[in-house]
Amino acid sequence: MVNVYKLFGGRQVLKNICLDVRRGEILSIIGPSGAGKTTLLKLMDLLLHPDRGKIFFDGVDTDVDEKRRRLLRREMGMVFQHPALFDTTVFNNVALGLRIRGYPAEEIRKRVEGALSYVGLRGFAKRKVLSLSAGEAQRVSLARALVLEPKLLLLDEPTANLDPANVLQIEETVRRVNLEKGVTVVIATHNLLQAKRLSHRVAFLWMGELVEVGETREVFENPRSERTALYLSGKVVY
Amino acid sequence: MVVAAILTASIVFSTTNPTSTTRSRLVIATTTSTVDSGLLDYLKPYFDKRFDADMTWLYLGTGQAIAVASRGDADILLVHDREKEDAFLASGNGTHRATVMYNDFVIIGPANDPANIRGAGGAVEAFKRIAEAGRSGKTLFVSRGDNSGTHALEMKIWSAAGLDPRERGWYMEAGQGMSSTIRISSEKQAYTLSDRGTWVKLKSALGEALRLQILFEGDKTLLNPYGLILLNPVKYPKINSELAEKFFLFMVSKEGQRLIESYRVAGEQIFFPAFGKAEDIGLPSEEEEVRYWIKRLSENGLEPPPWVKQR
Amino acid sequence: MGKAEVEKKGGANHLAGWEEVFYGLVKAVELIFSGDPDVVQITILSLRVSGLATLIGGALGIPLGALVALRTFRGKTLVVSVINTLMGLPPVLVGLVYYILLSSTGPLGFLRLLYTPEAMILAQLTMVLPIAAGVTISSVSTIDPKLREVAVSLGANPLQETAILLWEARVGLLTALVVGFGAAISEVGAIMIVGGNLLGYTRALTTAIVLLTNQGEFVEAIALGIILLTLAFLVNAILTLLQMRSRSSLFAQIYTREPRLKW
Repeated sequence: MVNVYKLFGGRQVLKNICLDVRRGEILSIIGPSGAGKTTLLKLMDLLLHPDRGKIFFDGVDTDVDEKRRRLLRREMGMVFQHPALFDTTVFNNVALGLRIRGYPAEEIRKRVEGALSYVGLRGFAKRKVLSLSAGEAQRVSLARALVLEPKLLLLDEPTANLDPANVLQIEETVRRVNLEKGVTVVIATHNLLQAKRLSHRVAFLWMGELVEVGETREVFENPRSERTALYLSGKVVY
Repeated sequence: MVVAAILTASIVFSTTNPTSTTRSRLVIATTTSTVDSGLLDYLKPYFDKRFDADMTWLYLGTGQAIAVASRGDADILLVHDREKEDAFLASGNGTHRATVMYNDFVIIGPANDPANIRGAGGAVEAFKRIAEAGRSGKTLFVSRGDNSGTHALEMKIWSAAGLDPRERGWYMEAGQGMSSTIRISSEKQAYTLSDRGTWVKLKSALGEALRLQILFEGDKTLLNPYGLILLNPVKYPKINSELAEKFFLFMVSKEGQRLIESYRVAGEQIFFPAFGKAEDIGLPSEEEEVRYWIKRLSENGLEPPPWVKQR
Repeated sequence: MGKAEVEKKGGANHLAGWEEVFYGLVKAVELIFSGDPDVVQITILSLRVSGLATLIGGALGIPLGALVALRTFRGKTLVVSVINTLMGLPPVLVGLVYYILLSSTGPLGFLRLLYTPEAMILAQLTMVLPIAAGVTISSVSTIDPKLREVAVSLGANPLQETAILLWEARVGLLTALVVGFGAAISEVGAIMIVGGNLLGYTRALTTAIVLLTNQGEFVEAIALGIILLTLAFLVNAILTLLQMRSRSSLFAQIYTREPRLKW
């Protein structure tokens, strides 16, 4: 079974997206702000419906009723640009997904502690969310997604507001989880260096269209499209 | 902004209404029963015209009426609770008191009369029968329970019957005015004691919706005399004692007493003039008081009622 | 309570205003500690009626508010306006309407609810319900919409999603309940009309105060008023405590030097 996404057409924000995500890879989606990266990720997380075309997850057509979509959604984890944590303890935030799925209390406790250690926040369980720094909060957000042991991890500019130390910390965690657990990762970022560091493949999204997709090295060193070249060299692309 | 200005202006103008500053205002502290009967509304145009005044009244329970008067928040006191009236005079808060009128009370209850008081020989016996029926679970009694003049009279009858109905299951205390108490009695199909005025008025207003009837009336113990009390002008310098005295004169004069007699509710006479008739209705004599007022009446060019012989 | 004293007083002396308040305070302490059975009974009835009204009104109003806040439907603005208007329902009007409905000659007369504590609870919960719904709507609507997305992305079904958001808005909801309770326990018009102020059955603190005032027994009336205020104060104190606890980390942030969140 291969994690396959095929999108033909999409919302007005996105046009004619035809994208394959391979199992076990880290795929970066790069492009200027407003290009539609967030929308693309939300479509993958089944938070949105495509206006046209189909999305397949693990070979399964996702164009089904809400109940089944919910089940599919439970195999994915998403981290947004802003941590969006609930006003309670760190533990409760990370445990939320597990509680929704009805896991027993003892199991929840083990998993949450495990996830917190994994992101380097051991001992933070009882802290109130309002007392965290930005980096810590985003790591909680990541732990919240990881604790569910998703097959697919979606990250929407996860390190956009963080200082370099935290950026590297989070990247390290993402790399680990991909290597150790084989989690497929799709990360939207406008940090080109991050895309270069982390991903196996890169997709360049510009004004809702997928301009180019390919192996990271290939795209960065020999971009096929002129626009890609311009973007990569740092010039603003219109 | 303009709207706000207009609103403010209209409020200011309405409170400084020119007519109210030229006429003298009288504030009577009186009870809910008196007001509910509508008598004061009936008397107002005559008094206002005669003395170029503005007669107003406060709608209070007996206890509160007396408290208000003793603070000097009213100009004159009209209540129907002899004990409290006497105490008021004894304390020096009031200078003159006269019985000016009386009305009567009736015992009302459900049409089927479970306590069978229709044939009772007197009010006291009627109450005894109600208590007995209450004890055997056949009926209920609703009391004003508010230390009003009505309530005081009710308690006198219970005590004359040798009973203390409080804290018995069949006896309820409403703690409210007469109309409310009557309506509660109707809902619960219970007996209650009411002044005739309020009863007649409520019955004519609600008709069939009020499911009660007069089951006993006419006993002397059910007579309810009203005392009019002049407040001490020395103790309460700020009250309108001049106009209060004029009201007193009006009430005991031939004209006032005749008006009281002529007042009708739904065609029934409710109040009976009583100035100078204290002994006739079983009250202690008020000779001295009556003589004083006859003198004051003639000094003011007013006539005393015809039955008051020249003393 | 009070009757013997009135017979003694006979309405003679009055006290100056402040003296009455002072004696009222003294009397209140006296009444509370002596455990005067009438006062105890009246206080318990007030708590029972207003407490149940708040709980039931909240239990109905909060889910209603959540539903309205989280769904989009035609006429939503109208519904929200109606609820906001109902929040300001005049209590006496509510009392009057229920009286007409529950009176023996009225459509619901067969229920025989008039002049019972149940009727009082009904009237008061009618006033609490819109308050609970209205505050819930505003609390839930102001939750960051991203949190809603998070809940959904974590796989919550609509019921779970609503529960999560309601928990997130819990301080606002709690405030709604406390405000509702405060309004209910100090209400007098509706319960006077539908309850009847019957001693031992439907006499609450507020209606008892009206009666005592009518009787000119101002000291006792103030005493009951003080008891009433104390109850309202206690309930408010509990709310403030809970509010402080959830904000404590915020205070810690401001007063220590922990880095401030930028989101």
